Amino acid sequence: MMRNLGIVFSVLVTLAFGYGIYEAFSYAYLAKIFPLYISLVLCVLAVINLIQEFRASRKGLGADSKTTADLESEWGDIPMSDVLQRFSVFVVVMIVLYALVWLIGYPLGITLFIIILYRYVSRTKWHWAIVAGLAGLGFLALVSKLLYMDWPEGIFKLPWPLG
Amino acid sequence: MDVILQSLAVVLQPSHLLMLICGVFMGLAIGILPGLGGIVGMTILLPVIYGMDPHSAFGLLIGMVAVIPTSDTFPSVMMGIPGSSASQATIMDGYPLAKKGEAARALGAAFTASLIGGLFGALVLTIIIPIARPVVLSFGSPELFMLALLGMSMVGVLSGNKPIKGILAAGIGVMIGALGDAPAVPEYRYTFGLDYLMDGIPLVVVGLGLFAFPEIVDLMIKGRSIAEVTTLGKGWLDGVKDALKHKFIVLRCSVIGVIVGFLPGLGGSVVDWIAYGHIIQTTKDRENFGKGDIRGVIAPESANNAKEGGGLIPTFLFGIPGSGSMAVFLGGLLILGIQPGPSMVTEHVDLIYTAIWSLALANVFGAAISIALSKPITRLTVIPFSYLAPFMVLIITFASYQATRSWGDLIALLFMGILGWVMKQYGWPRPAALIGYVLSNNLETYLFISVQRYGFEWLTRTGVIVLAVIIIGSLAMGIFYQAKKSSKASGSEEGKGK
Repeated sequence: MMRNLGIVFSVLVTLAFGYGIYEAFSYAYLAKIFPLYISLVLCVLAVINLIQEFRASRKGLGADSKTTADLESEWGDIPMSDVLQRFSVFVVVMIVLYALVWLIGYPLGITLFIIILYRYVSRTKWHWAIVAGLAGLGFLALVSKLLYMDWPEGIFKLPWPLG
Repeated sequence: MDVILQSLAVVLQPSHLLMLICGVFMGLAIGILPGLGGIVGMTILLPVIYGMDPHSAFGLLIGMVAVIPTSDTFPSVMMGIPGSSASQATIMDGYPLAKKGEAARALGAAFTASLIGGLFGALVLTIIIPIARPVVLSFGSPELFMLALLGMSMVGVLSGNKPIKGILAAGIGVMIGALGDAPAVPEYRYTFGLDYLMDGIPLVVVGLGLFAFPEIVDLMIKGRSIAEVTTLGKGWLDGVKDALKHKFIVLRCSVIGVIVGFLPGLGGSVVDWIAYGHIIQTTKDRENFGKGDIRGVIAPESANNAKEGGGLIPTFLFGIPGSGSMAVFLGGLLILGIQPGPSMVTEHVDLIYTAIWSLALANVFGAAISIALSKPITRLTVIPFSYLAPFMVLIITFASYQATRSWGDLIALLFMGILGWVMKQYGWPRPAALIGYVLSNNLETYLFISVQRYGFEWLTRTGVIVLAVIIIGSLAMGIFYQAKKSSKASGSEEGKGK
């Protein structure tokens, strides 16, 4: 399944470069030259890569290579379906965090996020989870004051440092 | 010489030293966390350096990146998990030494080797600057364009086992870099009607999305928790003596580190293996390697610290980053209003020497702090990752939001994070994408100036032709080497089938 998803990603990359060519035609001459030619070359390479991956897939060889310039994921005995499921859960958790931030602002949103993760993922006791959340809030307040940094406000305005 | 001493005076100012030490502490912390490295650390610091004096900013950035290869030794030795990609080979002998109760000896040797390697890298950088100056100044836009192209092609070919994927990954980066306003004309490209994309996606968001996000996800998926506390044991001094006794190994591997750091595309994850391979090949009594031979710790550790000095050479002189972390550093230079490239050796020589002194001092501080605080740091390595992950999410989302202070930053972070994770799973080298992204604007600008200034005659310049030959040669060699490797692999597959 993972190999097929790798091919799906390669198809998406090819389509993205194809879109790069299509869209470049709508720009003024000086703006289109660079993305047009780059996309053209990359699109050709992406098609070659896709053909190679299909052929490798049909032969039953690994469709992709382990790279040396990257710390690759090695999952050991975790099944790939579990990996994908946990990844999806993490993305959903991030979306929930964003929704919280949108509603109540970043400081309170991230504090709740830390508390919930500590309580239900790390399985710590409630009071430790709350301490961790407050530590996060304190760090945020300190850094934003010292370095004049800003954070996203929610639709419900709360007093500093909560919103 | 005056400039060198003036820069030393600047570096020794309390404000600069404070920044340097802050950077060193941050680098030590990042190095200890498995999976994270210089790219993530540098990217987190980018929002902090806005409006900062360049000398202080250099202290912070260089202090941070210089000591990651020092502190990443802790998880490698104590837990058998690489703290960053540059310390994978250290596990081979460091972890068995720790299991024998000689962790302190392994760490002592590693920190001494790291210190010497880091100082060697700084020394080489010092020597190179005056020598390279006339060559660098003879480079015009056409040559710089070709150099950027060379950097990208080398990254593509060298950073993966499949050159085509490396080049495509670099291309993905170039296209992400091409989003937003065009350098030559007032035109906005690939914005999909979104105001946020009119200025392109900021480097902080791209860096954290492609690198930090996937590492956090992976570590959460693995649910990594450290099984047992390994004690440090005794033998600090023996480790230091070991490194000094094997001084020629340290020196040879430092040279390897500088060369690998200089070449775009290789970077941290291979330098330690090259040094480790070199030491095994050149040693007669090799039966103890993999079982706790101290030379197996010294070799990669001296090389991975020396590579930072090597990596700064092309970054400063040509604006071509040698690795992913140097690509972010390049972005940092632009934030500070400094244009890397030939103008560095004329207008900002003082800054180059500030960087060199910072690099040297950071290595000294890094090694000293690592030894002094080894006991509490060792305790830090046993914190389960699920305790750290929420705080890391806080840091990456907060840092990303500082890029333009809009919701677009957070949404783009999520998209780039998903892209980075998928690239990581399917062998698309992310450092190549990051370097492509950073070089995108330079590539277009240099090409535009070359065509405007010389027409198509820029293609006939000697420097351009020489660089074109090197590009074609490196691509051909990479593809040939890969084809040979593939045919060997399929041959052995068929053999197995029979």
